[in-house]
Amino acid sequence: MKVDKKPKHTAINSSATHVFDVLREVSDGAEPAGVSDISRRLGLTGSTVFRALTTLETSGYVSRYRNLPQFELGMMPYLLNRALLNQFELNAASRPFLRELAQETGETVSLNVKLGWYSLRISGVYGSRDIYHRDRLGELTLLHRSLAGRAMLAFLPDDALSQLQSFLKGSSEEESTSDTWRNVADEIKHIRDRGLDLEALKMSPGFSAIALPVRNQKGEAIGSITINGPVYPSKGTGSWLKIRYRLENLIASSPKRFVSPFAHISADKIRFQNLVNKSMN
Amino acid sequence: MIQINQSIENREQNKATARILTVLSSFASNIREFGISELSQHLGMTKNMVYRAIKTLEEQDYVVRDPTGQRYQLGFRVLELQNTFSPEPTFRTLCAPAMQQIHELTGETVSLTVRARDYTVFIDGIETRQPGVWRLQIGALRPLHVNTTGHVILASLADAEIENYIQRHLADIPENDDKPLNPELLWQDLRSIREKGYATTVRPGPLPMLSLALPIWSAENDLHGVISVGGPSERFEPLFGTLLPQIVDIVNVLCQRTRLYSANAAGSEITL
Repeated sequence: MKVDKKPKHTAINSSATHVFDVLREVSDGAEPAGVSDISRRLGLTGSTVFRALTTLETSGYVSRYRNLPQFELGMMPYLLNRALLNQFELNAASRPFLRELAQETGETVSLNVKLGWYSLRISGVYGSRDIYHRDRLGELTLLHRSLAGRAMLAFLPDDALSQLQSFLKGSSEEESTSDTWRNVADEIKHIRDRGLDLEALKMSPGFSAIALPVRNQKGEAIGSITINGPVYPSKGTGSWLKIRYRLENLIASSPKRFVSPFAHISADKIRFQNLVNKSMN
Repeated sequence: MIQINQSIENREQNKATARILTVLSSFASNIREFGISELSQHLGMTKNMVYRAIKTLEEQDYVVRDPTGQRYQLGFRVLELQNTFSPEPTFRTLCAPAMQQIHELTGETVSLTVRARDYTVFIDGIETRQPGVWRLQIGALRPLHVNTTGHVILASLADAEIENYIQRHLADIPENDDKPLNPELLWQDLRSIREKGYATTVRPGPLPMLSLALPIWSAENDLHGVISVGGPSERFEPLFGTLLPQIVDIVNVLCQRTRLYSANAAGSEITL
């Protein structure tokens, strides 16, 4: 990860910037990280990293891994993430519907919402099966790169796909071939025709997933429900669609309540780094 | 001289950075937005300190202005601060620091209990090293009506659900004021718990034991479980009046965190 270089930092906030760089480095790692690892990766001195880790540890943002001089994320970042997800009214409101779907299918059911040009998983309910698909709340993917996101893209205005392409232009996430966009365009046309999307999860042989777009009163997707597991859509989608329909009715009945807490921020200003490590898809 | 100045500067920067993290931590609750004055009052910092901290957080999108532009809400960049390789906190891990604090404060045995249908089940605890130990039996099941912890759980249920429970477990017991299982006495106890927000009981016997049980609430305003602390009355009771408000404060802070989680997500929901 590169250290953030923003202009006009005072001494205090450049120190804070280093602290957040160190925190993001700890949060990105597959393994707990020590001072020298972080120092090498960020190009900061050992003493700067050590001071940053001490401040972060005292505030509950990182914790020591098994009393070793290595650090992992502490409780506070998880709590902040959870608080952010709870800001979406759809999180709590959708839970009874997700529970119904989880009871009916026995599988993991999640709700994803649109955040800028990303799909964000904000809620999930586990079904009754012993073998289950573990969905991670707070997971972010670019809209065109996940099942949940593509289900949303299919029910956004026609120019959404080209806007997404412009958003990614020149960034590290830019698609290298135009084939990708052609495939996405074909797929979202297919989803529009069927009203849902289905794919075999590459990471879990034998498992499949289904995504149902959740639309507002204008017919635009504000989220999507995914059902993950060895699901058999041919046997039960009718009742699943009815449950989704009831959720959409609830949204239509008080549209203001379900506006995203980030709707007032331009989608192009919402950008995340290092999503490769954050996504399980 | 230069080194001393550098060291003082580093210390000041660390303090300022710690304040920035403290301000950010205030947003780890179900309160959506804060104004500068509110944060200043809540955190006991000057408005200027809070303002500078907020500005630094806003620069990095860890907080953003709300739609009115006057207040601040959590920023989307917080979503970068998660690790897909480590497990999310569970009910046990969320409660562990508070249990440790209560144990250090009282020196007594602290336990964590959840509901499993008509039973309580102990899932975690810290035993006192002092004599007269309330034995912790992790995994032990007890009917909801037989102990203080169970009463706290019952008190959180709807009246109809409590009546149903009484019908299933206590209906056949003859009315007798001397018996703790009398439904009327149970109702009195449950009403008192609802009013106070916690339960206290002295269990008689050769070594009378005093226990305190406090509910731990979830996002859906039902219970994740109960934290209890107890020990011999002779030892615990003289300190109880002083300790109670401090224990309640610890549990209130914990509940701000547990209220971020539904029971299903935090793993406190058990089915038999």
